Amino acid sequence: MSELHVELKQMIIDVLDLEDIEIDEIIDDEPLFVEGLGLDSIDALEIGLALQKNYDIQLKSDSEETKEHFSSINSLVELVKTHREK
Amino acid sequence: MRACCVFVGGLYEQRIDVTVVKFQLEAWSAIAGEVNTEGDWHRWLANPLLPEEPVAKAVLKKAPAMLRRRFGVLGKSVMGAVLPIIEDGEAVPGVFASRHGDLKLTLSLLKDIGLDQPLSPTGFGLAVHNAVAGLLSIARRDTSEVTAISASEGLVLQALFEAIGQLQVSEKVLCVIYDAPVPEPYSNYVAGDPFPYAIAVILSRTNDDAQGYRLIPRSADALSNSALPEQFATEPLRFIELLAGNTTAMESELNGVSWRIEKDTDV
Repeated sequence: MSELHVELKQMIIDVLDLEDIEIDEIIDDEPLFVEGLGLDSIDALEIGLALQKNYDIQLKSDSEETKEHFSSINSLVELVKTHREK
Repeated sequence: MRACCVFVGGLYEQRIDVTVVKFQLEAWSAIAGEVNTEGDWHRWLANPLLPEEPVAKAVLKKAPAMLRRRFGVLGKSVMGAVLPIIEDGEAVPGVFASRHGDLKLTLSLLKDIGLDQPLSPTGFGLAVHNAVAGLLSIARRDTSEVTAISASEGLVLQALFEAIGQLQVSEKVLCVIYDAPVPEPYSNYVAGDPFPYAIAVILSRTNDDAQGYRLIPRSADALSNSALPEQFATEPLRFIELLAGNTTAMESELNGVSWRIEKDTDV
């Protein structure tokens, strides 16, 4: 697990008030929404806002691309990495 | 003088120039921090101190974990008051009454707007006045209609009026009254409640075993035998005093009219 993995997991726990969930319990390649962690659409908006605040990443809420980025922790890590390289 | 009459919950009562509203109360429950059961309330009423927070965790176990995180102190209190008096899977329409709702949350959103910060979508969703009713309906999987009301005076009275009105179309109505202390700077301008609380009652149209109550307006023979100290003698806490059987009647003021809420001992 890279530093960025830990950072993003901690961000998700903090902004979504996941008090009962530890960093280790969020699996890198498992789905974040519905299955896996079981987040919902309000959580997606909240994560979008956190990405904007913390990493200056602007996402379109209705695009297929955004769905891809939000599919797992791994894909979020890729998104942040790619954005940093730009 | 003309005789007035009101049809409520299948009962007529006629009196000269006085409108008496009757209702049956099937069950009640109230929570304030760790004060939760009827026994707790009797002890609290005998020795009223600021209740210990937070809301007992056990009462929230019934809500799914991922939903529980959305409940603030008000939502937790409402869950804690409602769940003990309603069956799992039972569909009951609800009246949810709170003067301020989650004012602390609303204030934090207003501060973000003032600082030109983006608003938290979750915070925004939970600050609407029917948010607690919505969370409860998701937790209980009950899609019955809900009504969220806010009242600056006579909150208990107005909640009861709304619930009694709904008995025209529903056999039972859940009525929930809840609030939390007003945060600064609002607390400089308005006297709020001394601590977070929630009261839940189930009103019934036909249950003859239920305790009957009456609402009587312009009661010249107003009596106030509340034993609560002044800082706790709010309308909702006096209602708990009545529900617990420590008093037989209480007063409430609405639009300059004094109403008496009393137990119907004739039945």
